[in-house]
Amino acid sequence: MIVIAILIGCIIGAVIGMNSPVIPYTYSIFLAIAVVAALDSVFGGITSVLKKNFDLTIFISGFFCNSILSIALTYLGQKLNLDIYLAALVVFVGRMFTNLTIIRRHYIEKWTNKREKEEVKE
Amino acid sequence: MKKKISKEKIVMSITIGIASLALMLVMFMQFKVVEQTDITGIENMRESDLRVELTDWQTKYEELNERYQEVVAKIEEYQNEKESGEETAQLLETELAQLNMILGKTEVEGEGIEIIIQDNEGAQLSEDTTVKAITEEDLLIILQELWGAGAEAISINGKRIIAMSDVVSLEYFLKVNGDRITSPYVIRAIGNQSYLESSVRGKGGHADELEELGHTVTIEKNRRVKIDKYEGEITTKYIK
Repeated sequence: MIVIAILIGCIIGAVIGMNSPVIPYTYSIFLAIAVVAALDSVFGGITSVLKKNFDLTIFISGFFCNSILSIALTYLGQKLNLDIYLAALVVFVGRMFTNLTIIRRHYIEKWTNKREKEEVKE
Repeated sequence: MKKKISKEKIVMSITIGIASLALMLVMFMQFKVVEQTDITGIENMRESDLRVELTDWQTKYEELNERYQEVVAKIEEYQNEKESGEETAQLLETELAQLNMILGKTEVEGEGIEIIIQDNEGAQLSEDTTVKAITEEDLLIILQELWGAGAEAISINGKRIIAMSDVVSLEYFLKVNGDRITSPYVIRAIGNQSYLESSVRGKGGHADELEELGHTVTIEKNRRVKIDKYEGEITTKYIK
């Protein structure tokens, strides 16, 4: 059910996004940083699911708060003439890689365990 | 219990669905923006890029401006040269025309006198040696007198007298500029009419002397005496 919800959400979001008006290029940096923040939250959520400590409230709040906060930071950076969004980008992408590593390890370990069990059975 | 779990699941599904919707929406919006925006367009440039571009253009502008100034200066120079060249050309042209007039290479016109000397026909035929025909000396004396009176151009029987003209006498006729001439001799001179006339008439003027010898001399004052140009070619061989 959750998978179906994700799929429907993705399709509807893509369709609306493709038909939305083009925003000025100057403001596109806010959208970009928001996307990165949201992706970071998604990977964090997947990791927490694997670790079996997933909490919907934490996930959703992280998802939206991180996006909004990163946009706010970028805006502040523009006002200060300082590229704060770079710092946010480094943090988000770094965390994304950490989470990806965790996910990868989890599945590899699972796969290895399965094979070992099968070998033992044989 | 079962119902409660499913309700939680529904809420979770909807929430995650909304979250994924939002994520996709923003992502695709961004894709579209990046795809459709012309990065080289000036309104889409970042400030730093704009700064670089601006300095670039400024340098270019300065260079072009410099070159423009150079070209303008050159044009001005050429203009000046052209003007001065035209002036010089005009001056030279007037000078050339004047020189040609003086040299005798052009037809001239002006106030002056016309002297017609009719040879004493009897003397020409007679064997009496005391009465002489008109000689080249007579003509030369008259020429001298006319030049002395300020004549600007002289011709004898239509032959223009120039610096290199020769007036010589052969047995029965005279030669001017290498052409044969005979009586009556028509001497035309441009200059002050009264000066010219008084130079040949009266007080030892040669016209009077010729008349005494029996020749006929008539002098006509004319407001418009026309003198032909020198017909030969003026060549120099030794002048270097």
